[in-house]
Amino acid sequence: MRKHGLGLLTVLLLMIFFLVAAHSQEEMISVDNSIFPNPERVASVFEHEAHNEAAEIDECNECHHVYEDGVKLEDESSEDMLCSDCHQIEVSDDQPSLMQAFHANCKGCHRSEKKGPVMCGECHRKERGGD
Amino acid sequence: MHELYGLLTGPLAWAAFFVFIGGSLYRLATMLILVHKKEKFIFTYMSWKYSFRSIFHWIIPFATTNWKKHPVLTIVTFAFHICLFLTPLFLLAHIVLWDEAWHISWWSLPDSLADMMTLVVVGACVFYLIRRISLPEVQYVTSASDYVILLIVAAPFVTGFIAYHQWLNYPLFLNLHILSGEIMLVAIPFTRLSHMIFSPFTRAYMGSEFGAVRHAKDW
Repeated sequence: MRKHGLGLLTVLLLMIFFLVAAHSQEEMISVDNSIFPNPERVASVFEHEAHNEAAEIDECNECHHVYEDGVKLEDESSEDMLCSDCHQIEVSDDQPSLMQAFHANCKGCHRSEKKGPVMCGECHRKERGGD
Repeated sequence: MHELYGLLTGPLAWAAFFVFIGGSLYRLATMLILVHKKEKFIFTYMSWKYSFRSIFHWIIPFATTNWKKHPVLTIVTFAFHICLFLTPLFLLAHIVLWDEAWHISWWSLPDSLADMMTLVVVGACVFYLIRRISLPEVQYVTSASDYVILLIVAAPFVTGFIAYHQWLNYPLFLNLHILSGEIMLVAIPFTRLSHMIFSPFTRAYMGSEFGAVRHAKDW
């Protein structure tokens, strides 16, 4: 009886452990726009996992790219960085601004693939908050 | 929806701008050729000074007798035309599209202000409609096309307002917004909306005739 109790307790603890682990990283549902001081639009919807599953994207650097001298480095990946680590809020001559980069990365791909949202309000959805 | 949006923002947008710019140049050219053929004598008294004196008075609210006589119409007309031009040219969403397509960018209006300016345009269109129906002297010079023109001008703003607020069917209204904007551009050279192109010339002509021939004010 004691043995059974211990076994049950272990199973329970393991279940709790996995449940906590699964929920500890909140699923991404929108693009983090907190860096913009005065955003005119609500943050864009972006369900990371659902998107990559639907778009059949396996490689991180498909989106999390690294560019050097205007050339995309195929073997490099930047998923451990913030987009804003490279892309500034202000427009510069060297590279797209943060907003330009977001638009180019999302809408650019949607246009070339002819899949996914391309109109302003399809991503910047008002029901997600804002006015 | 990708196909329709692509068509509206691609080939149809090109066609609309081509017809708008090409049509406007064509109308200007044919107007000048016609003047040269039939009324060349007006160049004997056309004057820069009197032209600009007249234009200057008429582009300022209440600077002419006629503006003073109709204060409500004056306010509505100036508010309407200012908002009609500034809202689409300085709308953030439009500038983002110019930036994406041509890498050109300029100063933009806050969305909340552009929203109110849109309502000014639509409200003014309602005012013009009521005025056309209710004032006998306006109704006398009104034809069916004048109502169509009002609809053509109001449509991009009404659909744009609905699309911006994401009411009803968003993709449908955004596409209708783009289409109605293109219809307006195409209509400018070939309808009474052509006063956009011709008004400086008619004003200059009037100013010159009143200034140089009649020696009178035309404001």
